[in-house]
Amino acid sequence: MDISTSEFSKEVLESKTPVLVEFWASWCLPCQTANSLLEEIKKEYKKKIKVIKINLDKNPTFSSKYNVKGLPTFMIFKKGKEKERKIGAQSKDNLCQMIEKFI
Amino acid sequence: MAKQIKKTRKKVKKMKRTTFVCHNKNKTCWNCPAAIFKGNVDFRACGQEKKVESLREDGQIVIECSRRPKLGHYEPNITFEQCPEWEKTKYGYLLKNMRVMILGIDGYLGWTLALKLGKLGFQVSGIDNYTRRDSVMERCAHTIVPIARMTKRLKTARKVLGIDINFRKMDICDIENLKIFLEEEKPEAIVHYAEIPSAPYSMIDVDHAIQVQKNNVIGTLGLLWTMKDIVPNASLIKLGTLGEYGAPLTGRPLFEGMFPADAILKWDNREWSLGGELTPRDPVSLYHVSKVQDTFNVYEACKYWWLRSYDVMQGVIYGVHTQEVSANPKLRTRLDIDEWFGTVVNRFVAQVILGLPLTIYGSGSQIRGMIALEDAMECMVRLIASPPEPGQYAVVNQISGLHKISELAETIAEVGRKKFGLKAKIQRLENPRVETEEHPFEVVSRNLPQLGFKPKVSLEKEITRMFKLLTKREIKERIKAKAQLVWPKTRWSGEKRKSEVLEIYKPGTKKVKGYKGKLDI
Repeated sequence: MDISTSEFSKEVLESKTPVLVEFWASWCLPCQTANSLLEEIKKEYKKKIKVIKINLDKNPTFSSKYNVKGLPTFMIFKKGKEKERKIGAQSKDNLCQMIEKFI
Repeated sequence: MAKQIKKTRKKVKKMKRTTFVCHNKNKTCWNCPAAIFKGNVDFRACGQEKKVESLREDGQIVIECSRRPKLGHYEPNITFEQCPEWEKTKYGYLLKNMRVMILGIDGYLGWTLALKLGKLGFQVSGIDNYTRRDSVMERCAHTIVPIARMTKRLKTARKVLGIDINFRKMDICDIENLKIFLEEEKPEAIVHYAEIPSAPYSMIDVDHAIQVQKNNVIGTLGLLWTMKDIVPNASLIKLGTLGEYGAPLTGRPLFEGMFPADAILKWDNREWSLGGELTPRDPVSLYHVSKVQDTFNVYEACKYWWLRSYDVMQGVIYGVHTQEVSANPKLRTRLDIDEWFGTVVNRFVAQVILGLPLTIYGSGSQIRGMIALEDAMECMVRLIASPPEPGQYAVVNQISGLHKISELAETIAEVGRKKFGLKAKIQRLENPRVETEEHPFEVVSRNLPQLGFKPKVSLEKEITRMFKLLTKREIKERIKAKAQLVWPKTRWSGEKRKSEVLEIYKPGTKKVKGYKGKLDI
């Protein structure tokens, strides 16, 4: 699930299915707890959506490029464009509602 | 024949299940305390930044290895498995000759851990100002397992186990000297046991309450500032207690420090995820308050200064055995049975040995998380082996089982009777504490198993070891000398009087009723 800057174009922008991206960092406690939810979502939506995580400390260019102001930030990308974002810990329902709009 | 094949198959299956999985082979320089960040470090991307002069034009983070500076600057993505400084052991990968400083190295746990780490090849240093020895002496009590003077302990460790420990007598609140020692040793991990660990001791009177809170809170606070200045990369293993959480009557599980993402808060027809928010604390004594304060101070220090820490919410530790402390009588660690420093299992075992009734506080329905000394030490090694990343604050609940106090008394009385022919009754006393006696109790402990920890020592096994050691003539005499100090006289109300007896009964004659503990692993 975790990718680095160089893989972003291929894995996210050029993806044929919509992508749920979580920007996270190891010091961020809500990010620590989001992992199990992302695993569940990945299983439930299998081919309908791709789940990707990007560590912002290790890939710092994204914070200015996508104006990420708080962690975790969840974004939906479809056809290379950002469609929606949610900031802070999210319930599974919240994430699923966001996903359902774009699949 | 068929039976035999079945048996072999079972054996193979069992072996497969226990196949060693290395928990930390994929950790990288990000986790390694030897890595010094040199690049454009932009942690807290969304708030405060920690800028180090950028060395590369593309802004990529690079590090320098403090152990191999000749390698120059490189990207921090070498795994423990690939790095020659990390060696594979049964505890996972361990940093070669890792420098670990133990604060409170003369105590029950500090000394035990020092020997274990030393034996594993760590470079161990430590401080202690003998507060524990002094406090126990001040209460006219003594450790029932005799312990040697520090100089003798160090000498014996060298002679018997071949371990060199760099010890310095020092108060943790003496920041100037702590700085000097940290500067000299440059530890890569710090284990913080330098706290006064007793609830009843903090409730004796105002002087004791102040002593406990000052030592614990001010000591930890000073340590954090000192670490920030001198060893910001060291991994801090700070000890908390399961008692910080209290025992919520709703029965809500005690999570590991923070709520999981699927914990939802509902209010006013709206809902939010509580994921990552610290769970409420509900301390049960002024000592526990000091531990909660420490927890918050460490949490903040990780946030402001990118320190990294495991906060260990420890269950009640009991027992006398590890391979190292049992190697020589002069290497033994202390064991207290007085009302202030004796934890429940220690007190019960001592009472059975003298044939005195086991003293339960109140109904005895209180449920507590516990772990044997040997297992607790195993956890510590795994935590040291797997440092968090810079700025990361992680909490682990360290227990191997939950026990209701009345059942604990039954088990200890039974082991004493069956294996050692000792007879003792059980008695309920007025509860000297202010605490909930009937309560549900569910504890989550999933982080340590992820580091490959599996408890090995059952309650019965460790109790048996305790009986074996404590029934020795010399030790039995020492229990006898201080037997009257087991009975509680320190009341949470501030009143000083002996708790009265509510009921005396024979083990095995009472049905266990009420809540049962639940452990989520």
